[in-house]
Amino acid sequence: MANLERAPRKSFNDLIYDLIFKNYVWQSIFRTGYPNTPRNQMLAVATNVFLHLHPTRIHRTHVKITHTYCLGGLSFFMFLGLTVTGVLLMFYYVPSIERAYQDIQELEANVRFGQLLRNMHRWMAHAMIILVLLHMMRVFYTGAYKPPREFNWVVGVVLFILTLLLSFTGYLLPWDQLAFWAITVGTTMVGSAPVLGDESKFLLLGGFSVGPNALIRFYTLHVIGLPLVISIFMAVHFWRVRRDGGLARPL
Amino acid sequence: MVSRAAAAIRTRPRREREQEVLVWPDLVFIEFISALIFSIALMVLSAMVNAPLLNRADPDTTPNPSKAPWYFLNLQELLLHMEPAWAGVIVPTIALVLLAAIPYWDRDTEGQGVWFGTKFAGRLTVFGFTAATLITSLLIIWDGSLHVVWTENIIRGLGLNSDFSWPGGLDWFRNLRGFDTGIPWESLGFTIGGFTMFEDWRAIPLGIPGTTTDPWLLNLNFPSFLSQQIIPVATMVGLPIAFVLFCKMLGWIQTRRDIALLIFSAFIGVYLTTTIVGTAFRGQGQDLKPPWDIVVLEE
Repeated sequence: MANLERAPRKSFNDLIYDLIFKNYVWQSIFRTGYPNTPRNQMLAVATNVFLHLHPTRIHRTHVKITHTYCLGGLSFFMFLGLTVTGVLLMFYYVPSIERAYQDIQELEANVRFGQLLRNMHRWMAHAMIILVLLHMMRVFYTGAYKPPREFNWVVGVVLFILTLLLSFTGYLLPWDQLAFWAITVGTTMVGSAPVLGDESKFLLLGGFSVGPNALIRFYTLHVIGLPLVISIFMAVHFWRVRRDGGLARPL
Repeated sequence: MVSRAAAAIRTRPRREREQEVLVWPDLVFIEFISALIFSIALMVLSAMVNAPLLNRADPDTTPNPSKAPWYFLNLQELLLHMEPAWAGVIVPTIALVLLAAIPYWDRDTEGQGVWFGTKFAGRLTVFGFTAATLITSLLIIWDGSLHVVWTENIIRGLGLNSDFSWPGGLDWFRNLRGFDTGIPWESLGFTIGGFTMFEDWRAIPLGIPGTTTDPWLLNLNFPSFLSQQIIPVATMVGLPIAFVLFCKMLGWIQTRRDIALLIFSAFIGVYLTTTIVGTAFRGQGQDLKPPWDIVVLEE
């Protein structure tokens, strides 16, 4: 019976575990231990600023892939990826009509992984639009816009518009023929509005046609103005998902 | 006074704990995997396909066709069939407002949280989407006068009449503008009492001269107004109504949710069709062409 008085010997795994997760520094960063018990798992979600977008527990049906296909989350993930690649692109890009096109060419030719970086940003932007559209369809066909989630649906429509605007303002930046004429066509459509059409077009372009002023306006909107606005709306959107009772489910 | 939304939250059954799972690990894992899959897929795509970079922007060289970014090509497609103010601004604005207004109109809380929650949801979705896609395609073909080309080719090809061409009497049915150019508006004046009505349909006096400077308000060009505004708008308003009435007749529509399902699915159909046609089927001068015949010229 003498054995009971001695603490059981720690295995090698436990030693490593304690070394990593039970030291002063780790516990100053993550207040909880490693999330391997239900208590720690809930604390890990509740005490982490990023994870606490989520509740600590959710209904079983909501983790089924076919319920949401992760579309909203993936739209947000695209936004994060676009922010990262976008910031990196800003290192190499100057929004003046003298330099913009050349900067893109040099990014593709001279910067290591520059082409890949630009491709990632481009395809993620397209993916985000498609994902946002699909997310809207998912929410519609599951009836998730119904009370009490009416307002969050409206916020979602605004986010869809902002996504299009973000992509549209980014479209001009390479300053090639594709960019120039796409924006010319797009802003001409704005100009045909029955009221304030010409005025809105002038405001958008900073002139009567696409030129240096338009480039700097689109750039500023693209890298700071619209991202700020969309971040605010996203914060509201996510917050309201929680406040309105999580994902919709049958009454 | 409890708001409708608050009441909706309160009437939810209490959470049953045994029906719940922990976010960590169940949800976080799924999110992580889906993010990983997308990262890898996009990385592979980016390694294989380069983002386009054409020549440096040149305001003096217009590519033909010039196109907006693909997600606005549905609007650019509309632009070909109606007054620009409708296509570029009014229609999308109304569409977005109606879209945002859906939950304020369809307030019934039944049927939420499940895919296609009503009895006929599946049929309404399939019908709305398919019918709208089909009708939109037919309208685009008609306005592109492809039916004229096809009819001529078939009749010539069958050897019935080797130099057959679309009869002048049917000029009004060539395309949308046919209602403008294909009808002898000059001879359509008529007399009521002693007054001759509409001697000139292309300049129907509306306003009192001097009260407005807008030529549109002073003299209405009715044939152009008819083909560029009345018919397109009547189509966009009329078809959804016809869809709803038709499905009501079949007994598929029982609630507002059903109407929303039908119209939303039809909207998705139109949205997709116009985007695809605008992206892949519009060549020089925005002519309707198969994708493999489209070349971009710089002029």
